[in-house]
Amino acid sequence: MTNINGKTYAMNAITPMNAFYTPILKLIFFILGHVKPLQADLIQLSFIHFARWVVVKRHQFPRLSEKQPQEQLHYDYLLFFSNFNGSWNQYIDAFADVLSNGLNLIWRWSARYPGARPVTDFKRYIGLVQFDTDYYYTAYPRATTNDVKAAHRVSAALEEFARNSKDMAPAEFGGAYLRLVTQVQMDLGATGIGPVGA
Amino acid sequence: MPNQSGNVYGLTVLSPILNGADGGVSHDCAIRDYLAKLPRDQRSPFAKVSSTHLARLVVMEDVVFVGTPAREEHLQSKYLVFETNFDGDLDTYLTRLARDAAEEVHAVWQHCVGYPGVEDPAAFAAYMKKCQIETTFFFAAVNNKTVQQTLRALKVQSGLAHFIESNQGKSAGEIQAAFRGFLEKVRHAPEPPAGEDEGHPHG
Repeated sequence: MTNINGKTYAMNAITPMNAFYTPILKLIFFILGHVKPLQADLIQLSFIHFARWVVVKRHQFPRLSEKQPQEQLHYDYLLFFSNFNGSWNQYIDAFADVLSNGLNLIWRWSARYPGARPVTDFKRYIGLVQFDTDYYYTAYPRATTNDVKAAHRVSAALEEFARNSKDMAPAEFGGAYLRLVTQVQMDLGATGIGPVGA
Repeated sequence: MPNQSGNVYGLTVLSPILNGADGGVSHDCAIRDYLAKLPRDQRSPFAKVSSTHLARLVVMEDVVFVGTPAREEHLQSKYLVFETNFDGDLDTYLTRLARDAAEEVHAVWQHCVGYPGVEDPAAFAAYMKKCQIETTFFFAAVNNKTVQQTLRALKVQSGLAHFIESNQGKSAGEIQAAFRGFLEKVRHAPEPPAGEDEGHPHG
């Protein structure tokens, strides 16, 4: 079991959902996918590299051989996979604080979902429906989502500075260099090993 | 297309695991034993398939019973969940997986129903697509940069921080001369390795 690699945590959850509700949830996701302002809170949370929700209908579990027993399920299932920075508690707390309405809209169709608030009931539910990761890989284990965003800003600023300062005299270069340092100083935090337990 | 966000593809695969045992060890346990020993750093099979941002493999033993009045039910098979986030298109990625990480792919998926082997990468890609479940909603914080662009940007970021620190207090002319050297170094630096985590050696 290995839910953590470097600074990133892999979370898996599965919740049963009455098949009657599946089209409603799919419609909600369709709207969420096409109306970008609705994703603003998710973007602002800024500690999620990638996240996805996957609805698996009860007859949709892959069956590749006649010998493989046929699934006989009553429920459809909602799978949730997230790749986030920080501890499990920080993630659930922030999720419940910032996105409680969004979470309720997504999980209210799942059986026995208690709501995102109070967070104690929500955590108990997530603990029940979560399952552990066996193998987890990340191409940049020492970097958080914010590190990645900052690195791309620094990289773009450096390229622009290099282009513009190519033919400058030293005095002019000195002024431009100071402006570059001022521009990127908030994005130069070091990446590295995550704190123990994160 | 819900499987994609910008240039990043979110693939979700559920491969049914063979029931029964192989040499006294159940197939799901054999997968878990193998994965527990598989390196997670730059020696990872996913580092060889360099378009992979993040990937996971999970043995899903059963669905969850959340308590009454919900109905209790169970899966007839266990499933290997493969969740990956990568640059580019699906066929290229699956073909690369079969070709560049053939040994590891075979060691894992040989325990799954209908696995055709990796000798024919196109057959492997077709098999994986049969097991694919379409992502309903996919979110990517950064969806317009490749893995290599991100690794390079992280290297540039730490390099520039070091440059600024070591040139504090110098004259504009000295900094300009040093900057030319720094820029050359940045532009000719080798591709940074994916999965590298010097602080956390994984076995």
